[in-house]
Amino acid sequence: MGMTSLPEPVERLAAALGRLPGLGPRSAERLALHLVQSDASQVRSLAQCLLDARDTIAPCSVCGALTQSQPCALCADPGRDDTLICVVESALDVLRIHKAGVFHGRFHVLGGRLSPVSGVGPEDLRLDELEGRVRGGAVREVILALATDVEGDATCHYLARRLAGAGIKVSRIAHGLPAGSGLEFADELTLAHAIEGRREICG
Amino acid sequence: MHLARLRLRDFRNYARLDAEFAPGFHVLLGRNAQGKTNLLEAIYLAATLRSFRGAGGHQLIRHGQQGYFIGARAVGQATREIGIYWSAAERRLTLDRQKVRRLADYLGTLRAVVFCAEDLQLVKGTARVRRRFMDLLLAQTQPGYLAWLLRYLQAVRSRNAVLKRMPLDEALLEGFTDELVRAGEPIIAARQRLVPQLAPLAQSACQSISSAGETLELSYQPQVRGELRAALEAQRARERVRRATLVGPHLDELMLLLQGRPAATFASEGQKRTLALALKMAQAEFLTGAHGVPPILLIDDVMGELDQSRRAGLLPLLERAQHARGQVFMTCTEESWPRELGRALLRWEVAEGALKAVPA
Repeated sequence: MGMTSLPEPVERLAAALGRLPGLGPRSAERLALHLVQSDASQVRSLAQCLLDARDTIAPCSVCGALTQSQPCALCADPGRDDTLICVVESALDVLRIHKAGVFHGRFHVLGGRLSPVSGVGPEDLRLDELEGRVRGGAVREVILALATDVEGDATCHYLARRLAGAGIKVSRIAHGLPAGSGLEFADELTLAHAIEGRREICG
Repeated sequence: MHLARLRLRDFRNYARLDAEFAPGFHVLLGRNAQGKTNLLEAIYLAATLRSFRGAGGHQLIRHGQQGYFIGARAVGQATREIGIYWSAAERRLTLDRQKVRRLADYLGTLRAVVFCAEDLQLVKGTARVRRRFMDLLLAQTQPGYLAWLLRYLQAVRSRNAVLKRMPLDEALLEGFTDELVRAGEPIIAARQRLVPQLAPLAQSACQSISSAGETLELSYQPQVRGELRAALEAQRARERVRRATLVGPHLDELMLLLQGRPAATFASEGQKRTLALALKMAQAEFLTGAHGVPPILLIDDVMGELDQSRRAGLLPLLERAQHARGQVFMTCTEESWPRELGRALLRWEVAEGALKAVPA
């Protein structure tokens, strides 16, 4: 072994860490070196945390959010409104909207958005599950809360068409100015959307 | 607007350059392959973040070095410090030492128009070159245009990918068609407004350069006339066979007509050169009109290719730029040095990647 290369187990650990999102080879190496020099009990407990989390967390069989129990707490909560479903891309989006505390209906996680250039088509998203829930009867409105780039918007158009025959209302969340900020921080497209989506106010 | 200071580190053949420039007419003299054009390239890069020679980042790094740096001080209504660092591992763009988050916030800090041998492609090249010409002007003068254009191109890529999937999913195609139409319509509308404003500028530039008094017409030929959505509908069957988006502003043409006939086929070599120059002059005039100040003019040894009368046609533009406290940078060799520009020139000698002021 040359002086410049790390011991093989450290290299393997760095390679495994480097496959995690957001970690480059340099940070992965730094983390690996940190771990092998840490207190053994700390590392053991970290490893246990990883295993526990992986073993106990699964997507909710109804909405697709991450949960320890089936169905998840939000789906099981009898106090939430069954007539509204908010459609989001990721499990993290559920938490974001839930935290805001203004939406009291049900959620549905798509697991991404339509992205033909990266090979993500309708069959890769949880669309059949969504249609199944809509056909279930109680739902009156589906609210689309997706990104506002080309793929997010195209996914909205697609969903609106696909759900059109179901006899329910399909809406999408408004996009425009961030609350509490002035016009000076908005880019031109945001302003264009904000003007398009203007609302009458009563004087 | 002018460039008050330029710093280069490991850019092309410059290991290190620190130069200050006053407003006015700068002539960069030197033999070939000394780095005259590299200086213009660095200034253009600071303005547009692109090389006018179509070079990628790697080609701009001095041989054997890791990355290049360009520092520029742009003096317009305010004084701004530009910093560009590029290496294989890192790209950094700063304005007044703050990281630039959105390109739209940066573009316009320094505005430049380049005159170079490649301009001939505006006349001889494919429609793509002329679409780029329109897009560059609109991106620099119309807020939001660049964002719509990027969105439109993304929609075309996505829609083409949908058309290549087997079997074809009609609903999916519709979803991306909606986005294509939404972004495509403002692009067509903006080009439709631009060309009638640009045409008289190009015509008068053409008249002043060419002694023959030839007429140049610019005609925007949107590939789609009428509703974009209806045109897409009409092409459905063909699109299914060809598996690509066959209509839309990504296929528009800006037709150049000389004496009423298509310039690409009917103009002589000399006339093509005149037309290319007229288009670039129109570009500079249009930017001046839109912003109230002339852009920096970068002229890469084109004077040598022009005969006496065409040079004379270009002079008023150069003098006006100078008059408005603008700035012109022109490269030439000892042979192509335009003697008729005798007055008030700031002369520099470029030799082996170094710049030296030549006393008047």
